[in-house]
Amino acid sequence: MLWAILSGIEGNLPAYDAVLADLRRLRQPVEALYVLGDVIAPTVESVALVERLRSPQHPHPQPQVCQGWWEEQLLCLYGLGRTAEPTELIERYGAAMVKTLWEAVPRSVVEWVRSLDFGFFELDCLLIHGSSVSVSDELTPDTPPVQMLDRLMRMDANLLFCGRSGLTFQYALQQGSITSTVVALDGPAERHTVTVRPRQVVGVGNVGRIPGQATYTLYNPYSNIVEFKTVRYGSGRGFQSRTT
Amino acid sequence: MKLAVISCIHGNYEALNAVLSDIDQQKADQIYCLGDLVGYGPHPNAVVEMIRSLDIPTCQGCWDEDIVEGLNSCECSYPSVLAEKRGRLAHEWTQQTLHPEVREYLAQLPLSLRYETLCFVHGSPHSQHEYLLPEMDAFVALERVLATGADVLFCGHTHLPYVRQLESGQLQIRVQSGDTDSAKTTEFTAPLRRIVNAGSVGEPRHGRPNATYVIYDTDTAQVTLREVEYDYRKTCADIVAKGLPPIFAWRLAHGLEFAERADDPTHVCER
Repeated sequence: MLWAILSGIEGNLPAYDAVLADLRRLRQPVEALYVLGDVIAPTVESVALVERLRSPQHPHPQPQVCQGWWEEQLLCLYGLGRTAEPTELIERYGAAMVKTLWEAVPRSVVEWVRSLDFGFFELDCLLIHGSSVSVSDELTPDTPPVQMLDRLMRMDANLLFCGRSGLTFQYALQQGSITSTVVALDGPAERHTVTVRPRQVVGVGNVGRIPGQATYTLYNPYSNIVEFKTVRYGSGRGFQSRTT
Repeated sequence: MKLAVISCIHGNYEALNAVLSDIDQQKADQIYCLGDLVGYGPHPNAVVEMIRSLDIPTCQGCWDEDIVEGLNSCECSYPSVLAEKRGRLAHEWTQQTLHPEVREYLAQLPLSLRYETLCFVHGSPHSQHEYLLPEMDAFVALERVLATGADVLFCGHTHLPYVRQLESGQLQIRVQSGDTDSAKTTEFTAPLRRIVNAGSVGEPRHGRPNATYVIYDTDTAQVTLREVEYDYRKTCADIVAKGLPPIFAWRLAHGLEFAERADDPTHVCER
């Protein structure tokens, strides 16, 4: 069994096609294809990408797509999000981006975005754009361990696959313990030491942000092996600059 | 310096008066309030006016927020249809009863307060609706304190007073970036932190009808859980007389939660 886990295609259809081509070259067939949000970006190319995701070509499995940061901003723009206005979008990109996003992504895509899940829970794995807190929650290799553990424990997941940072990383919480003493109004103080079982957060990379270079993740739930893949595509294939 | 921390008064003026008298006797230098001034109880305006007149620093509770923003939380607020029906009745009654200036006061309350290395919130640093119950996983509880940057986190919302000390925390992590072959193993040691739940002045749930609050000594870091008797029967009678659901009087008289416990107390409502 093999899962392909993607995030952040950001309207970049050539990048997505390059990843699909890479998947076709694998010896082992991909059983599940997860796309952890940020499918769209404020570009008209997003529409074609959404169409491709909705109508996948043989032999690829139907992608399972959840909402990302851009999808949430789009819903907010249409009054369908968690906040009445796309405040995060404005704070990050300025007010002009509201118009750009509005004009780039039509209402037909909004309806599809609205139907997307917040994330997936499969076996003992949480697959989500940001974290169990929100799509905006960015987990990175520098995130404090207690915060990482909290994000895992909120959904009682052993593995959390996320894409918000765009980075590929494995962050393993190998062991830990803490002692808690509770004193209430009645009864003696209760003292416990709890231990942590091994858990892991995996950053799955980003498909579309860097032109010419897509990163994604393969995961085998039976062997628990995580593999990061980098695909170079386009005219500068193999020599593409990392900067945009 | 001696701090008194009160929470969850819920329109119970009798209880508030009794607690303020007890705070006087304890010779506290400063009072902090963790919100939920209104809701369930029969005297929301009088409670807010008292808090304002004493200039008590107060953060916004979940009831205070709901009165201002409207009841738009998801079904997590009510674990049963019966509980939801009662809650809505109380919300509507409070909405109709509140004076406009009281509503304005509740609207401008901050979500958290700070004093040196102490942080004060209603539910948790992440949400007024999150319950920091004493049995919550210790690492998750630690995350709530560390998220504030404080040494001691004062909260309410559960209506159960307690002091929780979190110590000797350690985590071993191994981090590998996708663009390198080498992994880095690090040992993280958590500093000692405490959560102090102030209980509830006006709607206790510890099995007795008495009001609860806490005293904190900033010099010795000593916490004292206070339990104060008062004439709860008067509040119960007023609840019934004002037309609020009689079950609120019953549970106040018993100091019990009645079918109001959420299935997942750590669930944070997505508004």
